[in-house]
Amino acid sequence: MRRRDVVAPVKTDKSRFQRIENPDDIWLDENTDFPIKKFFFSNREVLFEFSGNKVKNPSLELKDTVYFGVRRCDLNGIMHQDMVFLDDNPDPFYKARRDNSILFGLHCKEGDEYCFCNSVGLKDFFDLMMYDKGNHYLIESGTEKGLVFLDEFKKFFEETAEMISDNDRKIKNNKKLSTTNIKYMYGNESWEDLAKTCLSCGACNLLCPNCHCFTIQDEIDFDLKSGRRVRVPAACQSKGFTRVAGDHIFRETRVSRFKHRIYHQIQYFKERHNEIFCTGCGRCIRGCPVRIDWVKKINEIKDGN
Amino acid sequence: MTKPRVGFYDLTGCQGCLLSVIFNEDEILNIINAVDIKEFRFIMGEKYDGELDICFIEGGVVSNDDMDVVKKLRERSKIVIALGTCACEGNIQAMRKFHDKKDIEPLTYKKNHQNDDIDEARAIDEVIEVEYKIPGCPPDREEIKEFIKQVLIGKKWHDYKDPVCIECKLRENSCLLDKDVICLGPIIKGGCKAVCTTNGLKCYGCRGLTDDANFEEYFKMMKEKGFRMDEVKKIMDTFMARRVEKALKGK
Repeated sequence: MRRRDVVAPVKTDKSRFQRIENPDDIWLDENTDFPIKKFFFSNREVLFEFSGNKVKNPSLELKDTVYFGVRRCDLNGIMHQDMVFLDDNPDPFYKARRDNSILFGLHCKEGDEYCFCNSVGLKDFFDLMMYDKGNHYLIESGTEKGLVFLDEFKKFFEETAEMISDNDRKIKNNKKLSTTNIKYMYGNESWEDLAKTCLSCGACNLLCPNCHCFTIQDEIDFDLKSGRRVRVPAACQSKGFTRVAGDHIFRETRVSRFKHRIYHQIQYFKERHNEIFCTGCGRCIRGCPVRIDWVKKINEIKDGN
Repeated sequence: MTKPRVGFYDLTGCQGCLLSVIFNEDEILNIINAVDIKEFRFIMGEKYDGELDICFIEGGVVSNDDMDVVKKLRERSKIVIALGTCACEGNIQAMRKFHDKKDIEPLTYKKNHQNDDIDEARAIDEVIEVEYKIPGCPPDREEIKEFIKQVLIGKKWHDYKDPVCIECKLRENSCLLDKDVICLGPIIKGGCKAVCTTNGLKCYGCRGLTDDANFEEYFKMMKEKGFRMDEVKKIMDTFMARRVEKALKGK
């Protein structure tokens, strides 16, 4: 009997993480076009169901799942979401999925033209990590959970004296963010030039492995007594994101929304959690219809251009 | 609790929006039980000319007849809902403003419009005040159902205002703009669950422009991607000729 589900990258027209049935479907050539976050921060989370005064919590019996071939940027994205959802008041849905997960990473050798993970100080965060050595992989365990997994499936692994070298741990990045000290840049007028090219479509938010903002909706059944409360992802680049009671909108202008995203990624999260939020995957630039390159903008402001 | 009196009416359109109400097969009986339907010509023969609590109107205002009907409906209704893109945006009929009358005339149903033509086709909120709009060509049947339930519990309905791209990305579609397809997704209101783009069809913009649609940059981007501007404009005009004209004038 199969004891665990496996989620791994699959490539069709685009590459995405999927639950797989056949190991031949796994595709590890490059990072995926879409992040892994939907498996933890769900696209539709039923928080509870109600009927009159009775509240029913959804069942959280989940199958153990191996998340295979996850890159360092997405793994750090999970680490950042842990900081948010597993703090003093843990989110039971997120926690259940994380408790049932084995994070089995794959180390990149070289980035693509958009990613820049070396610029944002990523951490080692995995249960197991694979390093591609051409004709074999070296496996490193990062947690007790990872070691137990290796032991359980030891027929697939061999012990070795071969060490993971500093060179193995290097990732060659073609793109660079030259500074993460951007606090002083907030008032720089040239943000406006970039922000006005933004279509406010929200693609960057949805493609980001870190973004975890959500909105909550109540759905009601036709008896008008029963229904459910549902949580769905939200995008800070859309105008309605900050709409509150009375239809007031806090971030009315495109530039204020645009800067908020960049500053949350590089500045605000760091102030609160001592980690840069952005993991440098570059999906927000690659997947932007206008290809807005905010990394280049920060570099330009730093250089005084 | 007395059931609200509800009517479903149509002006000039294809009646697809009213069909969307009926297409809620699984719950149509629940809808019928929850409200007191006074007139709905697709499911009953009775006519009604009394007061209505909730009045759904599909279709656009393209004739003097439509003008009369919509004004009278307004007078006897507490809540008016513009149902579908004709009612919300003017839709395809609105294109006639931008063409020669003699080119259009052969294409119209003669017996319906003999001497009652008005200068242009309008969305109903250009003629009367409406409380709510449910856009879409056709509108999403789920949304109609949700709307009815929210009104029944006395909640204010908030229509979906985020761009199509958000729901499209949630469904992990590859971007049509990268495949040389003219897709209006970034400047069009979603709520449609990105049903067209998920099935490989471009977004034609049936749900209308977002509140802050960035025309200038959208056109610039399309030009840079090598699209022909007249083609882009043509697709935009399909559902929103009137709104696009207004929005461009404002720039």
